[in-house]
Amino acid sequence: MVIVDLATGQKLTVAISSVENKDFKQITKKRYSFDWKKERGVADIFKLTILGRPDILGLVAIVDFPSELRLQIHLICASAENIGRGKQYRGIVGCLIAFVGQQALKKYAGLACVSLLPKTELRSYYKREYGMVDGGPQLFLDGAGLQDIVNKYLP
Amino acid sequence: MSYKKLLQEFSPEELAEAFIFPVKLSPKKQKEADQQLSEALRLSRSKMTKKERLTGSLMGLKFRMEDYFKGDKPNEEYSFGYFLKLYIELLELKRREFAAEIGIDETLLSQFINRHRLPPDYMPIRLELHSNKSIPAELWLKIIEKDREREMLSNKAAMMKKERKYVTGGISVRL
Repeated sequence: MVIVDLATGQKLTVAISSVENKDFKQITKKRYSFDWKKERGVADIFKLTILGRPDILGLVAIVDFPSELRLQIHLICASAENIGRGKQYRGIVGCLIAFVGQQALKKYAGLACVSLLPKTELRSYYKREYGMVDGGPQLFLDGAGLQDIVNKYLP
Repeated sequence: MSYKKLLQEFSPEELAEAFIFPVKLSPKKQKEADQQLSEALRLSRSKMTKKERLTGSLMGLKFRMEDYFKGDKPNEEYSFGYFLKLYIELLELKRREFAAEIGIDETLLSQFINRHRLPPDYMPIRLELHSNKSIPAELWLKIIEKDREREMLSNKAAMMKKERKYVTGGISVRL
């Protein structure tokens, strides 16, 4: 998976891996907007970095619902310098969603599903940008839609 | 930082590009939301085509195989036979049918699955052809190499002892 450096247009390969205890020294509320320590034990947390570099550019918290063959995205955030017009990289959230899709396919194969409960004002963006569909107040991806988002962000 | 504070600084679109926020519902509303999602999912799955489902299953299998060969150490649970069995299962084929489709005897297929025999070079090629190039021969081959590594490491001491007599020369430097 790649993100784009908006200053140079360069595509950079990213790595996504589990957050370890030592990472929490780096994961401050100031830079990552939330108290991520609260997610420990509640959700599985993963970090996105540029391959070979230690700096965390994005985080995702996932909750597993095995009985529904579904992974729920509880929370995603890009680091502070990657929010808004002046952001450094494009594609952080897309890569993290595709990663969750990949995990869901590994775990639940053809019936895998990824869901999230969006803020009302942001709902249409997720539908437009990631092809998510309505499931009541929640949005979800499964079948071809899920496969498309994974294929879009995979190298 | 709260969502409301962030909205004062950024547009909704800018926030959506950088976040998926946690949303807390009352227990009653959460229950209703879960039921609605469950129903939407049931409907979506009932409309899913066999091809769509198979594509997702193949992608999942391929990702698991890639994870395995990228791992540092051979994992006891996984092997060429393990992934081959998964492949046959996701195609919903009987072993006899699958063996016929790739031109081998069912007994030989069982030996590969049960790790009683390491697969010959033609197997990865036939599996790539069978999967319509969805799972490349190189990926199967990397799994086989992991199996060979595990088998050799588990027998290394005995093999060293056995092969010692054939090695009559050697260098004096050791790294």
